[in-house]
Amino acid sequence: MQVAAAAAPPWPSLPRGGIAFLFPLSLLALWSISARLGWLPPQILPAPSEVGSALWDLAGTGELASNTAISLLRVVEGFAAGSALGLLLGIAMGLSRTTEDYVKPLFTAFAQVPTLGWIPFLMLLVGIGEPLKILVIAKAAFVPVALNTFAGIRAVPPIYAEVGALFRFNRWQLLHRVVLPAAVPPIFTGLRYGLTHAWNALVAVELLASAEGLGYLLVWGRQMFWLDTMMGAMIVIGIVGFALDRIMAAAEQRLQSWRLA
Amino acid sequence: MARQGELRVEDVSKQFRVNGSELLVLDRVDLSVAPGEFLTIVGASGCGKSTLLRLIAGLDTDFRGGIALDGKRVTEPGLERGLVFQEPRLFPWLTVAQNVALGLLNAGLSKAAKRRAVLDHIALVGLTAFQDAYPHQLSGGMAQRVAIARGLVNRPGVLLLDEPLGALDALTRARLQDELQRIWAAERITMLLVTHDVEEAVYLGDRVVVMAPRPGRIAASFDVARPRPRDRTSAALAAVRSSVMTALEATIAAQVFDTPRGAPRPMAVARDFATAEGRV
Ligand SMILES: Nc1ncnc2c1ncn2[C@@H]1O[C@H](COP(=O)(O)OP(=O)(O)OP(=O)(O)O)[C@@H](O)[C@H]1O
Ligand SMILES: [Mg+2]
Repeated sequence: MQVAAAAAPPWPSLPRGGIAFLFPLSLLALWSISARLGWLPPQILPAPSEVGSALWDLAGTGELASNTAISLLRVVEGFAAGSALGLLLGIAMGLSRTTEDYVKPLFTAFAQVPTLGWIPFLMLLVGIGEPLKILVIAKAAFVPVALNTFAGIRAVPPIYAEVGALFRFNRWQLLHRVVLPAAVPPIFTGLRYGLTHAWNALVAVELLASAEGLGYLLVWGRQMFWLDTMMGAMIVIGIVGFALDRIMAAAEQRLQSWRLA
Repeated sequence: MARQGELRVEDVSKQFRVNGSELLVLDRVDLSVAPGEFLTIVGASGCGKSTLLRLIAGLDTDFRGGIALDGKRVTEPGLERGLVFQEPRLFPWLTVAQNVALGLLNAGLSKAAKRRAVLDHIALVGLTAFQDAYPHQLSGGMAQRVAIARGLVNRPGVLLLDEPLGALDALTRARLQDELQRIWAAERITMLLVTHDVEEAVYLGDRVVVMAPRPGRIAASFDVARPRPRDRTSAALAAVRSSVMTALEATIAAQVFDTPRGAPRPMAVARDFATAEGRV
């Protein structure tokens, strides 16, 4: 009995889902106090209530929804294209040393140029319309997905492939029965990095060349000194990015149910 | 029709490259296994038992000499040769039943026949209650039993077993020994079983081969001409056991005098055993 008593935590434990809100709520509280006591001038850090009402107004006019939808569509399109290509290239390089020898040096050089560095060149190539945004986002997602898929496939223990060889798996069976399932965790790491990079790229490209979208809302708020709008846009970007990451995590968990079972 | 499963290992030598130098792991191994024979192999750790089984399975074709099954040269893995690895090697993302079913992926059976075979073999190793469990939910011995089921599910003509019962408790081990024996008798398949347990080798084998290490070679071979079912406690088996034990100890004792600088190897002991086939 004493053992049981000692094992109980000395404070009431929060459900794990609740813990996630602790830190944001404390930050929000700190932010409110700071605004109330005037630690930072409101031109730099508007009060949470103002940011809230700015968001409310934006939502009321439909601007928030339309800009979010535009940004989300860009990310989804660019991420889908970039991660699909990244998966293909990662798998091809992972499975074949020859492909690796041919493609990897160029790919590495390509990956070394930061996404932002591609924007001027791409602007010359495709102008500043939608294709530019999709290309930049796709590039941002492509690199981490390809790299992690490649590394993940190379890290699949050869003992698994031997079991496949023993039962005379062909290349396709080996790929989808052994290699891909074994590489699910690193591939998903790549996809989640890719998604984060896609959001970063989106905001960057909307800052530079767009008249709509959440990134644009951000620049616009800053240019007009509507810092509450700017902060609101930042918060929405963060929340949408977080939601997308959770969706990816849920998908990964479904594929990896054996770990939890 | 002649019974299938005649295995010939002719003058097989195998080297590995380790840190730039060649390590001779198998030295002119010659072994003939009759169709339907139950051959057991014992030998010190590192003497090349697993390597030999891998060569026969066709997983490694980089060796000198020849291996043939029913006159056909072994150049790649084949479903007619099953191998149960020394470690279970189950896929962690598949359930027990799915792992066993993978063995039948290319077996050309109907879906229903596959399902039946999978369930039968899971029952055979006593894991019906665990068919939907994942490998991380199994004990080491249970995982090894799944691996045995996967190796058997194809009904290979030659089954290679690499210390399959090493991780089991005495009772389960005895039960599975009898199961293996039963399957072997029912299917008339050729079995090669590697074990470090001399009692197991003598109880199960028609013939016990003792391997010596560095380089791996066959040191002695003992026929166990006892009818089955065998009595584990019989004096005849005990006699073979002690001969095998003596031969095995000789191969290990020889190691003590083995100098790393390549001085003349004490082959004489091993050669004596190779010529003096112990018979009971
Ligand atoms: N892939 C490899 N590369 C280099 N050396 C290897 C390789 N595989 C095995 N060896 C070496 O070959 C020798 C024989 O190994 P093997 O696994 O066949 O031994 P074993 O008889 O099965 O031993 P144990 O009873 O411990 O399982 C060992 O010295 C080992 O170090
Ligand atoms: Mg071994």
